[in-house]
Amino acid sequence: MSLFAQAEPATSGWLSTGLLLAIAVTSLAGSLWLLLPKAGRDGRWPRRLGTLLGVAALGLFIVTGQRLGNLGEDAVFLIVSLVAVISAAATITCRSPVYAAIWFALCLAGVSGVLLVLGAQFLGVATIVVYAGAILVMFLFVLMLAQPSGLAASDRVTNEPLLSAVAGAVLLGLLSLSIGRLSAEDPACCRPPSKAAALAGEPTSPAPAGETVDLLAADQVARLGGELFGRHLVAVEAVGVLLLVALIGAIAVVSHGLEGDQAERSSLQEGGRP
Amino acid sequence: MTPTALFAAAPLPLLQNGLMVGAILFSLGLVGILTRRNLIVMFLSAELMLQGISVSLVAWSRYHGDFGGQVLVVFVLSVAACEAAVALVFVLQAFTRTGRLDSAAWQSLREASLARSVDHEIPAIDAPLPIFPRLTPAGVSPEPDADAALQREHV
Repeated sequence: MSLFAQAEPATSGWLSTGLLLAIAVTSLAGSLWLLLPKAGRDGRWPRRLGTLLGVAALGLFIVTGQRLGNLGEDAVFLIVSLVAVISAAATITCRSPVYAAIWFALCLAGVSGVLLVLGAQFLGVATIVVYAGAILVMFLFVLMLAQPSGLAASDRVTNEPLLSAVAGAVLLGLLSLSIGRLSAEDPACCRPPSKAAALAGEPTSPAPAGETVDLLAADQVARLGGELFGRHLVAVEAVGVLLLVALIGAIAVVSHGLEGDQAERSSLQEGGRP
Repeated sequence: MTPTALFAAAPLPLLQNGLMVGAILFSLGLVGILTRRNLIVMFLSAELMLQGISVSLVAWSRYHGDFGGQVLVVFVLSVAACEAAVALVFVLQAFTRTGRLDSAAWQSLREASLARSVDHEIPAIDAPLPIFPRLTPAGVSPEPDADAALQREHV
């Protein structure tokens, strides 16, 4: 399978537009880098050059903006997936857990970009809000509570790095083999459920019978909501109960744990510690 | 209706690329959860695996032109939130007991037949730690709290 190689130019003007956009982005980055205060070199010429580059980048952006509609989603997909994959690798290789969490936030940004390209608008936003906004901040709270300073020795060693890396690589190889064997002409795994769902024309489903849903329609989020609270209403209720149970469970564990710890400590103290 | 009309929701390359990104994220998360010893980083790796699954599900959803995959991802998100809440409580409890976020601090829970894992060699810190800014103390210094001191003792 040629990964990402299927990205073909959408129109004949794709290459020049893409090139223009790349030049614009590069010059914008260069101008910002030149303009930012740096230690050591802080002359007048870099700033002038940076201003010039910035104006040029702005012009290039305006020029390319006219034609950006032609830029296929393949290029966008490539960029956001690269961001996601590279920052995921950095997440698991970073020594400092705080930096690992920050890299994970960047990975989430990339993943939500991938979800947006794939037509899941609500999920792209929800990933940012739920993961980066809530879960990751909770992680960072715990990290900063637990490790006020320094790098623990356990962060500098890993369990069986060679074996695990080989296992991960072999798993990825197997998965990509099976992904590469997918073909549009092989309906053995795909056709019956899809056709059945399409032909059944569920009464609560907003999809019109006999057609697939246009996932890129303007009211995609509303349709997703309709699907969630129509066909999957019971599951939504169950998830609501699950969230409540998790909340109560967390509170219960914390309060009981604190009591248990204090009882343990007081018994230790009575036991004649120095 | 021909199968091609049914599958016209998205081209196959998009599905394959999405599945590939999902597979890479999943494998990276797997390696992370197997190797890393910090409890929180292990947890981040588990979340990474969930992200890979989400990307794969959404790619399938786009390919089939069906909301099933996206609905499943909504549930994955909610379960991940529950999991994070409960597991972080346990991580905090483990930390207050041992004073470390190291998973090897709990290796007394291992199988009886397994050997104890010992760090033979800990690599030195390659770069000096950055000096983080400190707030200058201000205001009245608080009364010493015996209870808080007892809590701190373990850390």
